[in-house]
Amino acid sequence: MIRLALRNLVQNKTRLLVSVGGVGLALTLVFFFDAVFTGAAGRLTLYIDRSGADVWVSQEGVRTMHMSASSLPASVTGEVAAVPGVEEAIPILYSTDMIQAKDSEHVAYVFGLPRDATFGGPWKIVDGAARAGPGEVIIDHSIAASAGLRVGDRVTVLGQELEIAGLTSGTSSLVNSVAFVTMDDFARARGQNQVISFVLVKVAADESPSGVAARIGQNVDGVTVQTSQQFAHEERKLVKDMSTDIINIMNTAGFLTGLAVVALTIYIATISRRKEYGVLKAMGARNGALYRVVVIQALVSVALGLFTGLGITLLIAALAPRISESLVLTVSLSSLLRVTVVSAVIAGVAAALPASQLARLEPVAIIRRG
Amino acid sequence: MAAMAGSRHDARALSALTGSWALAWRNLLQDRIRFAMSVLGIALAVMLILFLFGLNAGIYRGVAAYLNNAPGSVIVMPQGVKSSFAGSGQLLPPETAGTVTGKLGDRAGVTPVLTLNAVPELHGRKENIRLVGYDPALGGGPWKLSDGREPAADNEIVLDRVLADRHNFKVGDSLDVQGLQLTVVGLSTETSSFTGSIAFARKALVESLVLAPGGASFLLITPGPGSNAGDIINELRTVPGTNVLLKQEVISNDKKTLARSINQVIYLMVTAAFIVGALVVGMVIYTATIERRSEYGVIKAIGARSGVLYRVVAAQALVAAGLGVLVGVGLAFLMGQVVATLRPQFLVDIERSAIAYTVAAGFIMALLGGLAPARALAGLAPADVFRR
Repeated sequence: MIRLALRNLVQNKTRLLVSVGGVGLALTLVFFFDAVFTGAAGRLTLYIDRSGADVWVSQEGVRTMHMSASSLPASVTGEVAAVPGVEEAIPILYSTDMIQAKDSEHVAYVFGLPRDATFGGPWKIVDGAARAGPGEVIIDHSIAASAGLRVGDRVTVLGQELEIAGLTSGTSSLVNSVAFVTMDDFARARGQNQVISFVLVKVAADESPSGVAARIGQNVDGVTVQTSQQFAHEERKLVKDMSTDIINIMNTAGFLTGLAVVALTIYIATISRRKEYGVLKAMGARNGALYRVVVIQALVSVALGLFTGLGITLLIAALAPRISESLVLTVSLSSLLRVTVVSAVIAGVAAALPASQLARLEPVAIIRRG
Repeated sequence: MAAMAGSRHDARALSALTGSWALAWRNLLQDRIRFAMSVLGIALAVMLILFLFGLNAGIYRGVAAYLNNAPGSVIVMPQGVKSSFAGSGQLLPPETAGTVTGKLGDRAGVTPVLTLNAVPELHGRKENIRLVGYDPALGGGPWKLSDGREPAADNEIVLDRVLADRHNFKVGDSLDVQGLQLTVVGLSTETSSFTGSIAFARKALVESLVLAPGGASFLLITPGPGSNAGDIINELRTVPGTNVLLKQEVISNDKKTLARSINQVIYLMVTAAFIVGALVVGMVIYTATIERRSEYGVIKAIGARSGVLYRVVAAQALVAAGLGVLVGVGLAFLMGQVVATLRPQFLVDIERSAIAYTVAAGFIMALLGGLAPARALAGLAPADVFRR
């Protein structure tokens, strides 16, 4: 039966190619959207992961950085630094802003760092200085490349014209990139000298981040304290919560389209061999055996479509960074499992209609019709 | 004579044309289930394209919702800030509102607004709220309340109705925003979008959260009778540390900022849906053509030119695509309604231009899908068909 099903499928190679392509593209839609959000979530926590901080202190109730604002009195840094187990505490300013260059604008997370900060700065410099001085900014090299900028050129950030002192790499995502300025330049633009956004904490070698975080929470009022892992987790949760609905909508649309394509393929493949099925029935083949042929055809088509869809998505994921470093696609295992399960369901549903046609098949009538 | 010959030629052409359509129609209807499934396949691809365009337009409409409904036609932003999205790190100092009011006198209304993005976790789900701080006496608050009233005290908030419904908040309930317990006193409509929702509070409350007494994110300027936006912009250009723009320019900049993030994704998905649709048309027409290959061979053998056969294939593709497009447009509106009911934060705004693009895309799909079958017919040798 498997051989018969495979022969039925490959009998018309163009039709098989078209159907596998159709299913593959429909499933690409499903993979793609998920991959975009998973990729973006990975990039979103990049600064948190690479800042070198073990613990993050923010305004009470602020648990995320993306789409959030945290305002703390500058005096909090001293209070945090005084907590036992804190090796170093660094205040930073943070905001979403635009890098304006020539005729283009680019959204960026802008960080203002003290000049003597030992951590919290850029982690991968591809050109120029590793620290921004007064009147200087460090931006991502992909933004610089797309705007035709080099080290030494001037851009407007936080309403001030600053000179590009260095270029970082791998900080840009679909939504934004990361830029660094001095804390003084940031505070001047903000117009608030005594306000900071976060305190980054490095804990002593013999302390655990969670233990020190708990101690800071007990000793400092009006703050939310999280380890870097907790903070990154909250960031990822924000993206997940924001994207779940839209991903579900797109998945439904993609699955429905895929279902229609598979159902059409299997239906056409079955009906065009109706005569042969009639002969099989006349020779004593039972409906169950014929159903199996149809279901195998559906499963093989969907499996090939699944590989095609996955292949196309992985290809786009591999090519996308070459076209735009900002477009990071990551196919997650959960996405792969979900699409595989739903694809199997699609195959089953798609086989239902041709199977019911076979059940009604009258062998004699078919043979007589020729 | 020439006229008669011309009319005979026209009649033959007309007859060939109507014959092509009739043959195409019969070919398609030969297997009604296959025809229905092919129309459905095309319709789903069309629906997906139109829905994506609608979702895109809805996102843009949601982004512009506040400024479209806020008072004024001119905006005073901090220096270098062009969009109300970005520039949250910069604030107008307290004296700017006074300077602007002093310059304009009673020729224009000045509405200071301070915004803050907050992400409270409600029932285990993070919700993005853009908290708009305003002075109820000067405007800039909710434009449509479905329940309750505007905030009268510094511990009160107006929530978006969709957000409130999702978390079962009612007027009188309380909510924690960045460590402050706020009482919900009103529910606003038209304030939710895919990216989050808008909430409203008195400006003093937002100032206390941002630690910026008297500060503002921007000033909305409403020219009075006899004043115009252009003159006001020229007059305010001398105010230090500001960037004065038309409100429509800021809305346009907000949309551009968003476009940089989402357009690549939307257009990649539209392309994939377009290719799926073309493949569906191609598969159906190809099968319908190959199945009737011997009939086409007979038609060729009795003298029909390839052009006639191409017309039959094209007519089949156009009929399938035409019906698919019609059903697809209907399904897109239906899906928009379903999404609006189940997930009201998603605005699906299907514009006429999007329908026009999608219909055009549907017919281009049909023509592309008809290419392979047409090539199969071109290579058809009548004698071979009979021999087989």
